[in-house]
Parts: sequence; C-alpha cells; structure tokens
Amino acid sequence: MKEHLKTRRLRIAGIAVFCCIATLTKAQDAKGELEGKTFYDTRIVNGQSVETNNEGVMKFIIAHRFGPVNGGGYELYGLDQSTIRLGFDYGISDNVSIGIGRSSNEKTGDVFFKARLLRQRTNGGTPISLTWFSGIAARGLKFVDDGRENKFEHRLAYTHQVLIARKWNERLSTQLMPSFLHRNLVLDTSQKNDIISIGAAARYVASKRFTFSLEYYHALPDMLSDPFENSLALGIDWETKGHVFQFHFGNSLGMTEKFFIGENTGSWADGDVRFGFNITRDFKIKGRKSR
Amino acid sequence: MKYSLAFITLVMSSLLIGSVGDVFEVEKKAVLVDVSISDMLFSLGEPKPAHYIDSVSLEMIQRGNELIHFGRTIAPNGKNTKHISKFYKCISCHNTVKEDPNLAEVNPERRLDYAREMDIPFLQGSTFYGIVNRETWYNDDYVVKYGGLVEKAKNSLEGSIQLCAEVCSQGRTLKQWEIESILAYFWTLDLKKSDLNWTAEDEKKMTNTSDDERLLHIKKKFLAKSPATFGELPESKSEGYKGLEGNPVNGKIIYELGCQHCHREKGESDVVLDDSKATLNWLKRNITANGDLSIYEIIRKGTYAAEGHKEYMPHYTLEKMSDQQIEDLRSYIESAI
Repeated sequence: MKEHLKTRRLRIAGIAVFCCIATLTKAQDAKGELEGKTFYDTRIVNGQSVETNNEGVMKFIIAHRFGPVNGGGYELYGLDQSTIRLGFDYGISDNVSIGIGRSSNEKTGDVFFKARLLRQRTNGGTPISLTWFSGIAARGLKFVDDGRENKFEHRLAYTHQVLIARKWNERLSTQLMPSFLHRNLVLDTSQKNDIISIGAAARYVASKRFTFSLEYYHALPDMLSDPFENSLALGIDWETKGHVFQFHFGNSLGMTEKFFIGENTGSWADGDVRFGFNITRDFKIKGRKSR
Repeated sequence: MKYSLAFITLVMSSLLIGSVGDVFEVEKKAVLVDVSISDMLFSLGEPKPAHYIDSVSLEMIQRGNELIHFGRTIAPNGKNTKHISKFYKCISCHNTVKEDPNLAEVNPERRLDYAREMDIPFLQGSTFYGIVNRETWYNDDYVVKYGGLVEKAKNSLEGSIQLCAEVCSQGRTLKQWEIESILAYFWTLDLKKSDLNWTAEDEKKMTNTSDDERLLHIKKKFLAKSPATFGELPESKSEGYKGLEGNPVNGKIIYELGCQHCHREKGESDVVLDDSKATLNWLKRNITANGDLSIYEIIRKGTYAAEGHKEYMPHYTLEKMSDQQIEDLRSYIESAI
C-alpha cells in the first residue's frame, strides 16, 4: 500500500480558487430576477446538485442501492442485496448547508459542507448557478493487520467540487462538476491518491411532478486504474408535498463521492447496473429570517 | 490531512459565524402627519378599548414590528427570541397597509384592483392596518365553525394575537411583553382621517352636531369588523360557478399577488407555483380533481395542519376572494398554456 503524500500545493490552490469565487460572488450585481430551481433536490442521483436546503430545514435522506441486475432471477435482479445510506442535511442559511451520513458500504461515515456562491438570474443577470462542495468520508471497516501502522487519517478521503449549473429553459437544466478527490490511503500502488474528475448532469422536466435525470462522472485519463470505472446513472424524480422520490439505474454501489468518483467497480457494458432510490423528507427545524 | 481539515474548519466556521447572528432590518417609514381616527373618537367620548396601551415606547414598537415582519425580535434582556412559528410569519397571511379603497364596504373585486394599483399581496387574512379600530376579530363563520376555539379571540385583540400565534401559525405561545409590543406596533397602524375618503360633506356633518352624531358618522366610514363567510364549491367543478365567466387578466393578478405570495421559490409552501407550462398544465389538469389539488377546493376549503406536516393553507372567505375571482383564476390557468 502506498502512503499518502501531502499535496500542499493543491490545497493552497483550492483555497485560492475558493477566495476568488467568494470575491466574484460579492461582486455580482442583482440584475434580473432569481431563476427558479435548477434541480428538484440537493442530489441528482449520487452526487450533489447546486441546490441547497432552505434555512432551518433539515432534510432526511434514505438512499438504497441494490445488487447488479445481471445477478438474474436468483438474486431477484439485485433486490436481494442492499446497501443503505442514511443522511441528514441542514440549511444553516438559504445558501449554506451542512450534512452528515452513514453508509453500510464499507461502514462509511461522511460529513460535508456546501455553499451556494452564485445564483442564476433572469433577464441578463448572472447566467449560471455555482455551488462549492467539500466533503470528508471516513471508512469504518476494521483495518486488516498487515504490519503497517494504521492511523485514523488512513480512513479519510476528501472531495472538493465546484458545481456549475444552468437552467436553460423551464424544462432543461445542466450541470458540470469539476471534482477533486483525495484519499489518504489507497488499495495498492497502482491506485492514485488524487483523482480529478469532471462530472456532467442534466435534468428534463416532463411534468410538474416528474423529471428525468442523468449523471456521469469521468475521471481524467490515467486517473482510474483497473478495476474501477466511471459512474453513469439515469433516473426519474417524483416530487410530492414534502417528499422527493428519486428512482434510478446506475453502475455505482457507493453513494458518497469517494466511491462513485474513485472506487466504482460496476460496468454498464457488462450489465453491472443497479437499481436504487433516494427518498428525501424535509423537516422545518427553526424559523427563517426572511419570509 | 491537517491542512484539509483546517481548510474545511475555517470555511465552515467563518460561514457559520456569518449566518448565526440575526440582523433585523427595520422598516423605516416617513411619519405621515394625519389625524388619528382613534384620537378623534376618544375626543368625542368613545371609551378606550381593552387593547389600548397607555404607555408606548419606541422599543416596544420596534419589537412589535420585528415580531410581525420577521417572527422574532430582541427581548428586553438582550437575547434573540425564538421564532413565533417555524412555518409562517404574520405577514404570510396579513398585509400591514390599507388594502381596501373604501373601508366602509367589503368588495373583493375593488380590493383586487387596489392591490394591483398599490402592488400589495392579495391575501386570506385581513390587513393589520386599522386592526386596532375594529371591535371584533374572528367573526361570523369562524365562530360558527370553530366555536370555543375562537371564543376568547372573538372579542379580544390580545386573544386574537395569541390564537393566531398558537393555532393559525402553528407556533408558540407569546409572552405578555410580546403581545404588548405587537399591540404597540398595531397602534401605529391606526386608521387616519385621510384613509376614510373624507369629503367636504363629511366635514359639514362634523359641525353643529352632537358628539354622539359625530361618533356615529365617523364609525360609518369604516367597518368595525371583517365579515367572514365561508364559500361553497361549485355544483360541478367542470362547469364552475354557474353564470360566471372568468377574466384571465384578473386571474393573472390573483395568481401573482395571491397564489405566488406563498407558493414561490423558498416560500411558505413546498409547492412552487411558477409561470412554467408544466405548473399551469398541472393546475389545469387538477381543476376538476377531488381533493386539495383542485383550485376550487384549496381556495374554498384550504388544508389542515397534520402531525408531521403542520404547514397548511388557510382558505379564502367569500369576502377575500369571490366566486367570480376563482373563475378569473381558472380562466388564467386555462388560457395561459
């Protein structure tokens, strides 16, 4: 196994980018009206959308990913196997959210922070929405005793993303997700600690209650080595009062960035596709400053 | 790793600090030099009502203003109060400005014209403007339907404020100083002589007449209560209210100043009613539905707070939205697609 080499320069660059974005945000004029929701929910399929929780709203997310459908009837096309993530997101303000979750996949806990820095406006105003996302995932599985000195930080993986989205019209929205994933410890020397990936997503509003969604993460060349694959998922969102149901098929088992960006083993070409769903429920925890 | 953790912590803590402290923006209005109707009435011998406050300070008015507009304020002990309600502010359902051109009549059509002219919301609740000049609050069908629940509120403005906080807004019980602060703010919304369309004829009637006659004359110029009549659904939703033809121009105004007041992005309701075809199609498809997805049912019946989902929509009484106006709204929804 390869020990993590501290990539100080990358982190400094990250801070610099963040500061630049924050400065840009401050400099935005308020031309035009705020555009409506770019995506139904804060998740597209596995990954984050530019949307953030309303202030004082806690979102409870139950997410399941089942086994591969190519397991056949014996495995009930994957339904006999299930991975779950339970998560809570909370809106500190309308533009800043934090979250915590726990996945059964590798007994992984995760926390994240998300800030909406730009919001698309109509009539010649800001043309895009932009959200910063940073998350930490901690693997909970017991270390296999291989003689190495195991430290807590070996469990950790970090993800930073800039989510850039545009609502083109009342039906179509798209999003780009330049992502940086850093894992303190990887499986073997063939794996890279740092992975840069570009995600792309889209939603199409079919009706008031239903939308179609697509999400794809593509690692830059030579970033992923065997047996890992890029992640692709297709889904349908069903919005009801207070709930959003998201049903989808994808090749990723994991529901945190560490897995679907860097450690996804499923392949669409081999029929290694899984059914999954996210169910979200919003709870108002406290009042908001604005009406 | 240390750097990553430090970075995350720095970013999170700086944004947390920035968003925890509440900064209230106080609405600043020019003081209108006008004659208070209450002062006119008191000077003619009208007894002061139970909700009259002898001693009012600027701090009380400020706190009352903030409680009404922001749902919380800074208590006399210097600490932020809890929000009155997690779901609503008082101004979710009530205006704080004059909303009827003629205060002596109930006319939702003229009220809508006035709302369009003044660009004010078209809401279910009565405006707080002039609320201290009224003599009863929960009236008519509210008493018939809710009985004992509104008993204490019907004849008491203090009771009405408390009922609104606890039940209507699904919030908490107000402390006495909060109710007094709200009353202090309400007294700044006392009707003024200029609100009553005062004419030379009225002025003439105020001379060479007895105090009682003057009192009566002033009182005829505004309603002492907001009448409340609960409307019915049309016999057939597909045909709508019999004999009424909708006007989509008025319907659009109702949609914008009424529906979208709460059904907006990050609004009181989870159901966003934007101007998209998908939304208008959905509304159109459900016009004849049974249940609260039909505009007839949601406007005339509203919804109820339920365990786990306490947000609800109060209905519009006939005085707040006429049957004709519902047909106008329907006409807009059907014609806008």
